Amino acid sequence: MALTAAILLIAVAVFFKNVYSCEMPVRNRGIRDAVRTGDLDVLFIGSSTFRANVDMPMMDEAYDGRVYDISYGGNQLVATVIQYEEIRRRSDAEYGLIVFELGPMMLTQEVALSDSRVIWDLSWEGKKELWKSMYDAGSTDLPMMYEYFVTSGMDDLVTFPLTEPFYGTRYYKGAKTDESVSPGREWLEQEEFDISDKTPVKAQEDAVVDIIQKCREDAQSFVFVESPCYYRLQDDPTFIRYRDEFIRILDENDAQYILASDVDFDSHEADYFEDMNHMSASGRRAYTRELIKALENGVKDE
Amino acid sequence: MSLISIPFFVFICVLLGIYYHTGEKHQWKVLLAGSCIFYMWCNPVYIIFIAISIVSTWYLMRHPVRSHFIWTVVINLGLLIVFKYSVNFGIHDLIAPLGISFYTFMTLGYAHDCYDGKIKPSDNLWHYALFISYFPQLTQGPIGTYQEMQEQLTAYHGYDRDNLKNGAYRVIIGVFKKLVIAGRVGFYIDTVYGSPKGYGGLTLIVATFFYLIEMYADFSGYMDIVCGVSDMFGVRLKENFHRPYFSKSIPEYWRRWHISLNEWFNTHLFMPSVTSGWNRFLSRGLGKVFKKAKKGTLRTVFPTIVVWIVTGIWHGARFSYLGWGIYFAFIMLVSFCTSGYVKKLCRKIHWNRDNVFVKIFQVARTLLVLSIGEIIYRSESFSDTVQIFKNILTDTHINGSQIAAALTPFGNGNQAVASVIIIAVLVTAQFVVELAKEKDENAFRGHRYIYATAMLVVIALFGVAGKSNFMYQAF
Repeated sequence: MALTAAILLIAVAVFFKNVYSCEMPVRNRGIRDAVRTGDLDVLFIGSSTFRANVDMPMMDEAYDGRVYDISYGGNQLVATVIQYEEIRRRSDAEYGLIVFELGPMMLTQEVALSDSRVIWDLSWEGKKELWKSMYDAGSTDLPMMYEYFVTSGMDDLVTFPLTEPFYGTRYYKGAKTDESVSPGREWLEQEEFDISDKTPVKAQEDAVVDIIQKCREDAQSFVFVESPCYYRLQDDPTFIRYRDEFIRILDENDAQYILASDVDFDSHEADYFEDMNHMSASGRRAYTRELIKALENGVKDE
Repeated sequence: MSLISIPFFVFICVLLGIYYHTGEKHQWKVLLAGSCIFYMWCNPVYIIFIAISIVSTWYLMRHPVRSHFIWTVVINLGLLIVFKYSVNFGIHDLIAPLGISFYTFMTLGYAHDCYDGKIKPSDNLWHYALFISYFPQLTQGPIGTYQEMQEQLTAYHGYDRDNLKNGAYRVIIGVFKKLVIAGRVGFYIDTVYGSPKGYGGLTLIVATFFYLIEMYADFSGYMDIVCGVSDMFGVRLKENFHRPYFSKSIPEYWRRWHISLNEWFNTHLFMPSVTSGWNRFLSRGLGKVFKKAKKGTLRTVFPTIVVWIVTGIWHGARFSYLGWGIYFAFIMLVSFCTSGYVKKLCRKIHWNRDNVFVKIFQVARTLLVLSIGEIIYRSESFSDTVQIFKNILTDTHINGSQIAAALTPFGNGNQAVASVIIIAVLVTAQFVVELAKEKDENAFRGHRYIYATAMLVVIALFGVAGKSNFMYQAF
């Protein structure tokens, strides 16, 4: 009897999470809120780098409030394709320009679920598609399936009434609002990182081409933007190699991009960085000022 | 084979089916065969070592003379030392057979009891083999005694629905403790204790508090699972925990935590040491220095030190375990030596020890003393221990930045708050249950279906899958 009751309750919770999580009234972030905002001049889709490095009040001012940033921790290119399709499926709104992230190291990420919010924001259709992408990339097994469809995001769902008021204040149109500061030059100089053993992941490379093709099919203007990192990472040979690889894919497909070096931003300035690839509040503002100029000057319509 | 896995679940169902369909004469053989399969599932080669231990001990102790007893100790301790401590001598290829620390203690306990004439040596090798290898208690205890176990293991157990229901309920409790409570706080502890240097005092205090929770939930959860499984076969295992965190002193705590191990040390090491010649000699010497001390107290000093150092080393040859043993030896001695004075003092100042606030104070004091020991135990090196104490003592502040820093090991900002709420609710629920049971052993006996349903739902939705290895398996 206990087992039957438990199975029924679990089934209800799992069904609710998978089918209705995308309809939860999440404020200031995520696909639902972006879709609800309507037509936009600029829509960012990327990882926590976009979330930390784009200053939304400044973008608001430049684009009359018609901007939004959809970003997830460690967001992957494979997931970005699904997120783009999800927005198209759920919205008739027009987007002047979609900015995708040109993160060189994104090409090396094993296809996986990087942030439970990714699942939370997707409809059942989107969840299935993302799972299929993960399955095709050979990154799935039974425990992962359990995590994906059952446990992931369940904490947020159950605690939603308590946590949402807290989370809601931490974002504005999907970007961070906190006044984060740099830990200092010494810390940034000593922070250890090693990306020398990273290898390319074909599914992520294919995803870049997918994004380009899907945007073209929808006659959607788009651009890939590389957000500056602290110079130690920015000038790392492995990082440069994957940036070149990313550029090669974009060039082959005749896609537009804005590199970190295309904007007037000092990657040696320690005060601008919270860690190797996330900016402090002052860095965010300095970069966004230049990014706005670059977007206005450097992007042609598709 | 992990105890929290589908193969183990299937294994238990099949074994139960065969067990209850087997006649009186052969039923115990099903348990023996099941135990062999369970053991060989993990690594078939290691059955050789447990077999050496079983056969040699049984054969030698049939005639429990001094030389046979010594040989038994040498063989069993020799195997334990070779496998467990070889890594300290630069040999890294030997992986200790599953449960070697536990079955060695059971073997030595049996041999000692035979030698002391407390029990009659087993006349059936297979019965003795079942006693040592009985699969629920093989990997992490409890360390059963021959007197308690033998009759139960070889007796016939007819199908009993209540046994199955009670056993299954207890297994659910154990899985809940392990996957939901220990699993959830475990990530935090691993993150913080993995590199304590980068964390402030508040985070380290939270991690240490969580470690107390993890240890109890992990180990007692394991015990609930194995006791539940054993109950299903009609065999009652020794209880190993009696709500230890409600203890009012450290000696009481050690009477309520890992009871079977502490009883083993008491019976087979502490008591023989107290009455030994070397201890009489040393305590006489000590008596010349502390002339006012009672003879009985002096006699416990050296055995206490020996027992705690051995207990520390039993966990492994690491500084942290040895330091932990020495720390608790010191605390136990302080406790023994001062308990009389404390009682007198309490009477003098009319301190009513039955007062609830006094009890809360005593419990909090015990947990504090315990936490210090656990910091030593959990630290990965001596420098980490020093760093943790240093940060706690010099860098603990209750302010926004330290509270925010204490949240970071829960995960990224978006998950931290939800995690905190869920952990708080679950740990509080567990605490309420334990507190109610501390007051009334029969609390939460009714409405089991509701509790079982709730626990199953929470396990399925909030359990941490992939954290099915138990802490004490390492020993």
